[in-house]
Amino acid sequence: MRGTATVVAGRTARRALRSGVVWGLLFGGLAANEALSYTHNFPTLESRTELARTIGTNAGLAAVTGVGHRLDTIEGFVAWRVFGLLVIVGAIWGLLTATRLLRGEEDAGRWELLLAGRTTRRTATGQALVGLGAGFAALWAVTSIALVVAGTRSSVGFTLGASWFYATALVAGAAIFLAVGAVTSQLGTNRRHANGLGAAVLAGSLVVRAVADSADGLGWLRWLSPLGWVENLRPLTGSAPWALVPIAVLVGACVVATLALAERRDVGAGALARPQVPTSGTRLLDSPLGLVVRLERWVLVAWAVGLGALAAVFGVVARTAGTADIGNGSLNETVTRLGGQAGGSAAWLGYEFLYIAPLVAFAAAGQIAAMRHEEAGGHLDNLLARPVSRTQWAAGRLGFGVVLVAATGLACALGGWLGTIGGSNAIPLGRMLQAGANTAAPAVAVLGIGALLYGLVPRIATPVLYAVILWSFVVEVVGSSLTTNRWVLDSSLLSHLTPVPAAPLRWSAVAWLVGLGLLAAAAGVAALARRDVAGE
Amino acid sequence: MVAAIRTQQLSKRFGATVALQPLDLEVAAGEVVGYLGPNGAGKTTTIRCLLGLARASGGRAELFGVDAQRRPAEAHRRVAYVPGEANLWPGLTGTEALHLLGRVQGQVDERYRDELVERFRFDPSKRVRAYSKGNRQKVLLIAALSSRADLLILDEPTTGLDPLMEQEFREAVADARRRGQAVFLSSHILSEVEALSDRVAIIRAGELVEIGTLAEMRHLSALSVDATFDDVPPDLRRVPGVTAVEVTGNHVRCQVVGSVEPLLGVLAASGVHQLLSREPSLEELFIAHYGDGGPAGAGDGDGHGDGAGAS
Ligand SMILES: Nc1ncnc2c1ncn2[C@@H]1O[C@H](COP(=O)(O)OP(=O)(O)OP(=O)(O)O)[C@@H](O)[C@H]1O
Ligand SMILES: [Mg+2]
Repeated sequence: MRGTATVVAGRTARRALRSGVVWGLLFGGLAANEALSYTHNFPTLESRTELARTIGTNAGLAAVTGVGHRLDTIEGFVAWRVFGLLVIVGAIWGLLTATRLLRGEEDAGRWELLLAGRTTRRTATGQALVGLGAGFAALWAVTSIALVVAGTRSSVGFTLGASWFYATALVAGAAIFLAVGAVTSQLGTNRRHANGLGAAVLAGSLVVRAVADSADGLGWLRWLSPLGWVENLRPLTGSAPWALVPIAVLVGACVVATLALAERRDVGAGALARPQVPTSGTRLLDSPLGLVVRLERWVLVAWAVGLGALAAVFGVVARTAGTADIGNGSLNETVTRLGGQAGGSAAWLGYEFLYIAPLVAFAAAGQIAAMRHEEAGGHLDNLLARPVSRTQWAAGRLGFGVVLVAATGLACALGGWLGTIGGSNAIPLGRMLQAGANTAAPAVAVLGIGALLYGLVPRIATPVLYAVILWSFVVEVVGSSLTTNRWVLDSSLLSHLTPVPAAPLRWSAVAWLVGLGLLAAAAGVAALARRDVAGE
Repeated sequence: MVAAIRTQQLSKRFGATVALQPLDLEVAAGEVVGYLGPNGAGKTTTIRCLLGLARASGGRAELFGVDAQRRPAEAHRRVAYVPGEANLWPGLTGTEALHLLGRVQGQVDERYRDELVERFRFDPSKRVRAYSKGNRQKVLLIAALSSRADLLILDEPTTGLDPLMEQEFREAVADARRRGQAVFLSSHILSEVEALSDRVAIIRAGELVEIGTLAEMRHLSALSVDATFDDVPPDLRRVPGVTAVEVTGNHVRCQVVGSVEPLLGVLAASGVHQLLSREPSLEELFIAHYGDGGPAGAGDGDGHGDGAGAS
């Protein structure tokens, strides 16, 4: 083993760097794509003024995406288009990365050995923070490069400084929530608890920012929300670098607090130790299937409620935008390319549900990850050494996965429907239920492919599965503008779907995906029965 | 009567590593067999193949006549297993874990389970993540013992238990034996195996090197000899049959396998003034088996070096 002096920093940095580069590519790519396609989507002055007039006056939209400024210019449009969403995605990335590398590692017992040696908890935590810093630097650098390169194109024409400041603002949410996650990793009793605390901070900031942006005269509220500070940076349209001050102060304070708390608490415990008087409930614990329900039920509720709420917000956006008949070139283009009808709330919602489908697929992939976790952690041995067959266990797990996917799809359908109620072109419930089925079908295929990977190559099944989803999503959203190769386009699990509710559900595609999922799952279970049950 | 465990040429490879050489082993119903071997010898591998958790590379494994590789769930009906590492679902409480394991097992003597909870002084109200290693181990021990299964397969079941609990464990196994349950016990604690087992099997580098009753093994395997000399002792290491030589000043302790004649010849010729011989303890048998010629790790129990340096 290497000297323990830098081993934590090295471990953390390696994993954070990898993640930072991948997400940097995604951030930079999406933002650069908006800049590069602007002149194509809004070729004339009229189309630009029209866009600015409709979006600029839509309060519901501003609550979700943040307030747009100078929307009739490329700077204003690019700064508004993906900014709000990417800042939130960055914040989630920061929170999950911090808790994974600070708390997840510790919960898995990987720190115990080190801390038994000469490394103190404070130094170990300090080193992990350095590693996280390296990961953030990678995210920042890759995003910056992508935007600076895009900015120099003649059709875009941003100055170097402006591009770079925009990249900085894009990743500021990630910086804040890396730091927040570091603190909650010290406060929580385990990683899940740490995530919950961080998510509460994120949700609070989001709501305050949304309220500030949705009503006139409440703009000052933005100063109460870390996400509001990020919006106050005003990249491209009115750069305000001094808004970085509260962000830097918060990050610094979090680092200090993290180190101080790390010293005071026990390994594997939280500074906010919850009173440990659990009540035992044995109701569900009668079979492997009951155990899955017991272990994963809150995961199901969280996905269904979370994505249902997101769909409801999308519904509100679609209603307002659709009613005001806000045209959007790239949106309508994507929708029509996929076989949908341009215009109205249905087009907006059909477009937005393209983003929900991969999220439901992520929920499904999480169930495969949980299967592998149960095996790698040795928990599964306790079932399989008893009169439980691997097939029975896997069928229970995968069956629960299907229920989770179905419940989440249904919640999205209902959420989207509720959101659009009351608009001038409301969408019928039946059509929205089809939209739910449309998001669930690829997730069923993901469950099946995941089961196959898990049966064949358990150690790398989860990362490969996430890569499959990411690939499917990228090909779906940008693929056709890069290539016309049918094989590439068909390789996306999402590309066979229509943008329901902007188009009717394509039942044949749903049947294909579900059939593929079932076949793959059966093969996966057969492969599982033929291999060793193995730890990490 | 059908054997509790029967293997035929059971073997296991991990890539190029041969973890288990073709193994023939039989444990009768009601019999307690100890399974000994140094770290990495293949004990856990054997047990995982026996349970069908690992796929054998060759051969068969049967539990009460049911093929454990092909029909593991069925083969486990009359079997309870305790792994060496207690990996339980951290979010469950002790009560919940015991309930679940009992239900999945399909049979549990609840009175006996409550008695074991008392005897092991186990507090089942906490969450698994809050238990110490020893307490986690107790959950699995209690779950297995309270099933009253016809065969207990135990892989180093007492790691992490304190001496008092270790005592309780021995009583529980003795009790199981009285009730006619078979036990397959892998262990590093030789006194435990010595106290509990009808027969002992010793495995080294994946190969079964010895199996039999303790009495047989003592008789056939080795004799422990203590000799004190008038002067510097002769080098006994080259004498045929002699192993585990320990020299302390004028005193030599060693093991003799097979005929004692060559040793007696050397001793007689070199002025021995006190001679003591006795049957070896299991520990000495164990050391004698690992002491010579084994691959990596085999030198652990070897006493040669120290004595020579001290004289
Ligand atoms: N999953 C695996 N992959 C590769 N090699 C393995 C695997 N599991 C075990 N081995 C190897 O097989 C051999 C036997 O290991 P096993 O765990 O059975 O030993 P053991 O007798 O139980 O040791 P201990 O007393 O330390 O528990 C070792 O050389 C080990 O390295
Ligand atoms: Mg072992």
